[in-house]
Amino acid sequence: MHDNVVDRSKDITILEVLDRVLNKGVILTGDIVISVADIDLVYVGVKLMLSSVETMEQLKSGKSVNV
Amino acid sequence: MAAIQLCRSHHKVINGMSENKILFNSGSPDELSEEIGKFTSNEESRLKLTPDNADSGLAKLVLTLVDLIRKLVEKQAMRRVDGGSLTEDEIERLGETLMKLEMKMEELKKHFNLTDRDLNLNLGPLGDLM
Amino acid sequence: MDQMIYSIVSVKKKQRELNTLLVGMKGVSGADLYAVFCDEITAVVSNIKRTSLVADRSNAMDYARVIETLAQKFTLLPVRFGSVMESTEMIIRMLGRNYDEIQSNLRKVENKVEFGLKVLCDSEKIKAELRAKAEAGTITEPALASQKSIYKDYLYEKLKEHRFEELLLAQIDTIIQDITNHFAHLKPIHKFQKMATTTNIIDDVFLLEKEKKDILIQAVEDLQTQYADLHLLLTGPWPPYNFVDLTIK
Repeated sequence: MHDNVVDRSKDITILEVLDRVLNKGVILTGDIVISVADIDLVYVGVKLMLSSVETMEQLKSGKSVNV
Repeated sequence: MAAIQLCRSHHKVINGMSENKILFNSGSPDELSEEIGKFTSNEESRLKLTPDNADSGLAKLVLTLVDLIRKLVEKQAMRRVDGGSLTEDEIERLGETLMKLEMKMEELKKHFNLTDRDLNLNLGPLGDLM
Repeated sequence: MDQMIYSIVSVKKKQRELNTLLVGMKGVSGADLYAVFCDEITAVVSNIKRTSLVADRSNAMDYARVIETLAQKFTLLPVRFGSVMESTEMIIRMLGRNYDEIQSNLRKVENKVEFGLKVLCDSEKIKAELRAKAEAGTITEPALASQKSIYKDYLYEKLKEHRFEELLLAQIDTIIQDITNHFAHLKPIHKFQKMATTTNIIDDVFLLEKEKKDILIQAVEDLQTQYADLHLLLTGPWPPYNFVDLTIK
């Protein structure tokens, strides 16, 4: 029972660490070696594009989307 | 004594962190195992991408973008219907188009042997994007 | 030789201290770590063979540990795993081109650490509760047309799902408002993500002075008493991964 709790804590910590180290932090453009990261860059680009759409919608409708 | 020390350093190596990072945690372990499971499968599929399977990597990327756009369109359609400004005929046509789009998407996913999970489809609440 | 970059560190006068610290540390794949200086900022790097880098969990954890150790002694910006540049010269040029932005980010995170608060609950369960409420007839539907049609049925099913999602999001917004008010006295910088997964309905990260850790824990305990049925998970302190607003040119 105790082992379970300890394992669970380790899992949570690992999850938190990996989420940060793989998804967050400074992103350098240019020479990113791992192809995984290459595809990631496009995702970043996609998110930027999507927020432009949101802004466009807000501007067009003249009302705020998030109440 | 030596055995205990070995145990502690072993724990540190696995954990990698110099202190306990969990400051407060309520709720059942089950909820979190679901969380961990979802993350690790995402993480593992990311990490497995190599120059060798770049093709399926590209298919994943394209389909994710296509499905994202499809869902955004669907979301906007729902807002229009909810707003009450559409005629019965328009609603009928909208339903038909959306249904066919969804079916086409399923076809594409099957063709490339990709699941929703592969496409990282949980991109947060789409409501925020509109 | 390719260099993997772990973080960008604010060094000021402590160059020797940094070098000493790096001598005692190992990076990914047991590589030596060293510092690439550019005026007051430094990149911490290790040599890496492009072809031999394996992006697996153990390497990622080693990487994180380096950042963690450095963060105990220095103000820094964590860099994402897998960031590699071709040479020391290129790194120095990159630091120079982005000097001002890097410095302003370092100032922003100086003496501060990141904490993460996750609110977890089964959103499918909540949606099911909402659906149950709807069966009681509180959610109105547009008047059904004279002719039955699979397309209309499909659409109305989608519409119902959409409405449940909206209701769920409205509830989440209320909780976020509550959380913000609850932690206002700590004066943190907050970032929220809604519905990061179907269980993680709110993912909140704070940037806060390290000393406020205990007050934060207390505030979370208080929050828990208010939302007895929600699962709260507070972790930290972390290096400021979520608070680097930097577009590297």
